[in-house]
Amino acid sequence: MNPSVVINITKEREGPCSRWRLLPLRVDDASTAMAIDEALLRLNAEGKSPNTIRFWRWLPSAVSIGCFQSVEREVDLEVAKKYGVDVVRRITGGGAVFHDHDGELTYSVVCGQEDVPADIVESYRLICGGLVRGFERLGIHAEFKPVNDVQVNGRKISGSAQTRRWGSVLQHGTVLISPDVRRMFELLKVSPEKISDKFIAPVFERVTTVERELGRRPAFEEVRDEMSGGLADAFGVELVEAALSREELELAADLRSKYTSREWLMKR
Amino acid sequence: MEVIALGYAEFKAPKGLIKVEVELAGDKISRVSISGDFFMYPEEALERLEEELIGVRAERESLLAAVHRFYGSTSIRTPMVEPEHWVEAILRASGGSQ
Repeated sequence: MNPSVVINITKEREGPCSRWRLLPLRVDDASTAMAIDEALLRLNAEGKSPNTIRFWRWLPSAVSIGCFQSVEREVDLEVAKKYGVDVVRRITGGGAVFHDHDGELTYSVVCGQEDVPADIVESYRLICGGLVRGFERLGIHAEFKPVNDVQVNGRKISGSAQTRRWGSVLQHGTVLISPDVRRMFELLKVSPEKISDKFIAPVFERVTTVERELGRRPAFEEVRDEMSGGLADAFGVELVEAALSREELELAADLRSKYTSREWLMKR
Repeated sequence: MEVIALGYAEFKAPKGLIKVEVELAGDKISRVSISGDFFMYPEEALERLEEELIGVRAERESLLAAVHRFYGSTSIRTPMVEPEHWVEAILRASGGSQ
């Protein structure tokens, strides 16, 4: 066997010429959005979906909770009902997030486990590093804050959550553009333990937004273009715009009922 | 008949807030429910941790031994959450952190 041939093949598959799919910007309800992410993860693991980057907005606005969270402990369900805000449980860990239709953009990255470092924090560093590049393109100096945040001057502007299943990786996360922070804190129950440390500023002061940092509010498309460019750079790949396949849409439609079910929402 | 006691507490690990609801029968854990915004890989493992804790005495050494058994059984990863942090949260919920 000639070793140089093996090296060439590897380069072609994983080198800078490698192509990932970029999906069109979508607007979805919470259950559909979560079902699409799971469908992409499952089909990527089966070799039926390419490595994919996508962005979407939530309609209606929604709160997503981490897979280990108790919905009743984290979300004021009465407030959610009052404002018509959906509540959904993710398949990823981490905390509760308010996805404001008018002020938040969510991304997800689906790829093979071999496309990211085996170490969990290093894989967050790679993907969040793509977001940091995206923020730089927008004109914001941001930095990765392990395990899963991107910050500007110590204030969180993006949070992510990752799962690894069946040989593939799904990482999704939030980009705070101009969310209604007041509503965010009305919806989310903030634990006293989380703010008990007197050296830690109130949660309200620990969050920032793209609008606040830039002094203007960029269009969702602009943020999506720069963030996807940053992610492509971080992975060293070329993005090719393409739509969801029929198989992906069908699987997502099947999986959607899990995310609408009371059983899944109240799991913890 | 053994005295049944219920407890709840939270503990902030370096990454993640651990929330524990515990039911004690005498000095042993008869039921435990762990929630929070931490990460655990694989995710299904959290249920195994809860099972591992059933019947364990609610004191530091026994709990630590049980949590170490859990980590040792398969390759569990919990970034910036250590065995001691679960133990601290459970002890607080059991009213025995002093």
